[in-house]
Amino acid sequence: MRSYAKYLAQRLAQCLLVVFIGINLTYAITHATPIDPVEQSIAAVTAFGNTSPEAIGMMRQSLRELYGLTGGPLEQYVNFWRRIAIADFGPSLSAFPTPVSTLIARALPWTIGLLVTATLITWTLGNLLGGLAGYYQDKRSLKIFAVIAIGLHPVPYYIVAFVLLVMFGYLWPLLPIAGGYGMNIEQGFNATFALSVLKHSILPALSLMLIGLGGWFLGMRSLVSNVVSEDYVVYAELAGVDGRRILGSYVMRNALVPQVTGLAMSLGAVFNGAIITEQVFGYPGIGSLLVSAVYAGDYGLVLGVTTISIIGVSAAVLIIDLVYPLLDPRVRVA
Amino acid sequence: MLTTLRDLLRYNAGFRIGAILVGLVATMAGLSFVSPYSPIDTFVVAPDMPPSPAHPFGTTSRGQDVFWHLTFAIRNTLAFGIIVALLSRVLSLMIGLVAGYKGGWVDRVLMSINDTFIVIPLFPILVLFYFVMRDRMSWTALALIMALLGWAYDARLIRSLAMSLKTREFTHTAVFSGMSTREIVVREHLPYVMPIVFSTTMNNMNWSIGLEVTLSVLGFTDINSPTIGGMIYWANQHTAMVAGVWWWIAFPVILIIMLFIGLFLLAVSMNEHIDPRSRLQRMGAGGGA
Amino acid sequence: MTGAAALAIDAGQAAPAKAVLRVEGLKAYYRTRHFGVNREVRAVDGVTFEVRANEIYGLAGESSAGKSTLIKTIAAAMRPPLEVVGGSVGFSFLTGGTSIHQATSAQLLAIRWRNLSYIMQGSMSVLNPVRRVRRSFEDFAARHMGGRGAAFEAGVVGHLARVRLDASVLDAYPHELSGGMRQRVAIALATICRPDFVIADEPTTALDVVVQKDVLGMIRDIQREMGSSLLLVTHDLGVHAYMTDRLAIMYGGMLVEEARTADLFLAPQHPYTRHLIASLPRIGDDAPRVGLAGSPPNLAAPPPGCRFHPRCPLAGDRCRRETPAMTVHAPDHRVACFAVGGGGGTA
Repeated sequence: MRSYAKYLAQRLAQCLLVVFIGINLTYAITHATPIDPVEQSIAAVTAFGNTSPEAIGMMRQSLRELYGLTGGPLEQYVNFWRRIAIADFGPSLSAFPTPVSTLIARALPWTIGLLVTATLITWTLGNLLGGLAGYYQDKRSLKIFAVIAIGLHPVPYYIVAFVLLVMFGYLWPLLPIAGGYGMNIEQGFNATFALSVLKHSILPALSLMLIGLGGWFLGMRSLVSNVVSEDYVVYAELAGVDGRRILGSYVMRNALVPQVTGLAMSLGAVFNGAIITEQVFGYPGIGSLLVSAVYAGDYGLVLGVTTISIIGVSAAVLIIDLVYPLLDPRVRVA
Repeated sequence: MLTTLRDLLRYNAGFRIGAILVGLVATMAGLSFVSPYSPIDTFVVAPDMPPSPAHPFGTTSRGQDVFWHLTFAIRNTLAFGIIVALLSRVLSLMIGLVAGYKGGWVDRVLMSINDTFIVIPLFPILVLFYFVMRDRMSWTALALIMALLGWAYDARLIRSLAMSLKTREFTHTAVFSGMSTREIVVREHLPYVMPIVFSTTMNNMNWSIGLEVTLSVLGFTDINSPTIGGMIYWANQHTAMVAGVWWWIAFPVILIIMLFIGLFLLAVSMNEHIDPRSRLQRMGAGGGA
Repeated sequence: MTGAAALAIDAGQAAPAKAVLRVEGLKAYYRTRHFGVNREVRAVDGVTFEVRANEIYGLAGESSAGKSTLIKTIAAAMRPPLEVVGGSVGFSFLTGGTSIHQATSAQLLAIRWRNLSYIMQGSMSVLNPVRRVRRSFEDFAARHMGGRGAAFEAGVVGHLARVRLDASVLDAYPHELSGGMRQRVAIALATICRPDFVIADEPTTALDVVVQKDVLGMIRDIQREMGSSLLLVTHDLGVHAYMTDRLAIMYGGMLVEEARTADLFLAPQHPYTRHLIASLPRIGDDAPRVGLAGSPPNLAAPPPGCRFHPRCPLAGDRCRRETPAMTVHAPDHRVACFAVGGGGGTA
């Protein structure tokens, strides 16, 4: 298992690198811009009436502290990291005085739930269908599916979500198009709530799945048509091995390996899509949180969501990386 | 490269359809130069009129002709995508080629950084960027930052191409026969690199335009210059769907979908064409009894 | 005289063991249509020979002579754009005497691995990289050997011992084994069902010389012990000299000469064969070797008449017009050349 430990260490190091660069990038953007978020917030607050200069002065001071903008550049940088480590992003301006971390903690499970289920279903289903399409090249139904996949896959998440919204919100109002659950249902572990959650997640999930399916389908189809001409597949056919066994254990099994890597690489993009889709359907995940935070000028919340997004996606990629050796034994050898 | 394009156009249905779609969209963009209306003027025609011979795509709630406004919108959107694609080509080619040719620790370091940019979720970062820039956010700034963030995926593809070219026999032959590196890259390797650059450019355009549309729809860009996303943003602001002004949204959406599918088809058919393993299958299909 | 008639006479004279494989007039072309251009590469263009029971039959020739295509066709492992255009491939264990290309899938399933097996070129990649070696044995052989029980396992371990491999190999992944070990696994895998006919395609090309000798010896020992027939394909004449009973030379998609190995080396008839034998290094002989002018024929547009005539020192007028057929020159020795008196018809 020594070689596995080395692989583990490598992937962990990469994960930490991603977090490091990502958060530094965030820091650079927020601190290297001409706009002062404190002044912006003050401008937003004072736009509605007259406030005394002393009050503004106090507000300015507190805001500076809250946003970690006091002290010299080095002190700010260290502070920045320290507060991320303890998950303290300060209070949310739009939902004052609720801390940003609370808001994010409330919203995150919705995003994770939506993302994980939708991604797992699309990855599995897409690879299965793509594998069949690549192996049985003449099946008409799969060819038609391929055309649909090609048509849907390149369209950006927002457009698909929006079209679905229009279709099911205005043309055929069958499914709920806003919120994570019915507005008058109590949260809790009961069947009514669960059912409501399910109903409300259908459209956002469908939106994610329609786009994702095409990508995995096309990728797997092309992988399989290459694997099929590999020596070990031809050899197994020469030995008269059962066709279904060849499809499963020789072709699919090998073609899935790069698809796992592909899953890790596409998580960033899928996450982007998920939070956009959330916003369209008013789904209470961190996507909606992010957009409303921008509209409200809530600096701390925007920063918090960005940071959590970076950390979250890196962690998810790390998990996938750790699962990878189970599928590909070759990686265990250093 | 030109003969490849011509052959693909003639024999590959996917490429043909893609080219037609992109051609139609480009024509729309070109029409903007003969538009009778200026793009930033509002209330120059009667608002909320459905499609008619005078206004083939109807008019918006802001009193603009949808058709002519759309030509400007698609022109700006297209130009944005092209600029980002060109800028990020520079980065992805440089990094991909250096990593692929040099190998060793240079390759490992570059790929670590590369993978970082693939994993980092870009949308929150772009939103943060807009948030701190607000009204000072210009299209140039957005294009620049997207080019700086979006080179990673393509760099990886170019790197694997460079790695395979480095070890090919004809490269060794060229080196041993005394060709300079520049000569080798330009004369021997470029014909292989061009198709990949072509398909990655198409994909990159899809990506950047997709992000631009998404950002604009949410109002996170300069919404006063017309873009596709901007049109949808204003349509939402005026609750076009509820008001029944469906043409304001439908036509931009249709046009942009045409562009996305077109670019995608071009990229996919080019990729299929350059993949040597699938070539034999495609060559065999249709031959003989 | 046609090749088939010549074979019949030959069979009557020498009374050899009966044929396990009989190939007659086999033609296999690659047909492609790409960007409006139709091409037909005549990789195998009329090949006739037979392999007898309990013999090692060698097939030699330079690359692009058509050897690989020939084996793929014999093993019924063709994929588009490769097509069989004519001729037949008959096996003694294929009941009904039909060509393998007309066999039903049920028949094919029955004979694959049990009667007909294959040692492929490049042992590096013939085993499924994501599964243990044991699974390959189970997938390939278990259905012929009564299922995956303890008896099966014992049989496999015993067979592995013959190629001097330990039972622990079964639990390993292919990439964990060395090249030589993988090749021995491939040999064990190909012979575990004691097939009547084994095709070996460049079995030792990727190995170093010392391991080569070891592996070749192993193959020969197994063959002698099981009494199966082996079709050995390689461009390396040294390997042929070491291993084969009879040897055929292939050029430009056709056979040009076939004889007992000793006869072929001592008295080669065809100009191409003579050149090949003459260019082999011999200890003590330091005469300079001369290369053949020209290059192998383009099989998409082969030269008219004899395929070798553009490079042949004995080429005559007839050679440019007619293609010589394989005719009997001596007992168990066939040549396809007008210049040495073969080729059929009156000179």
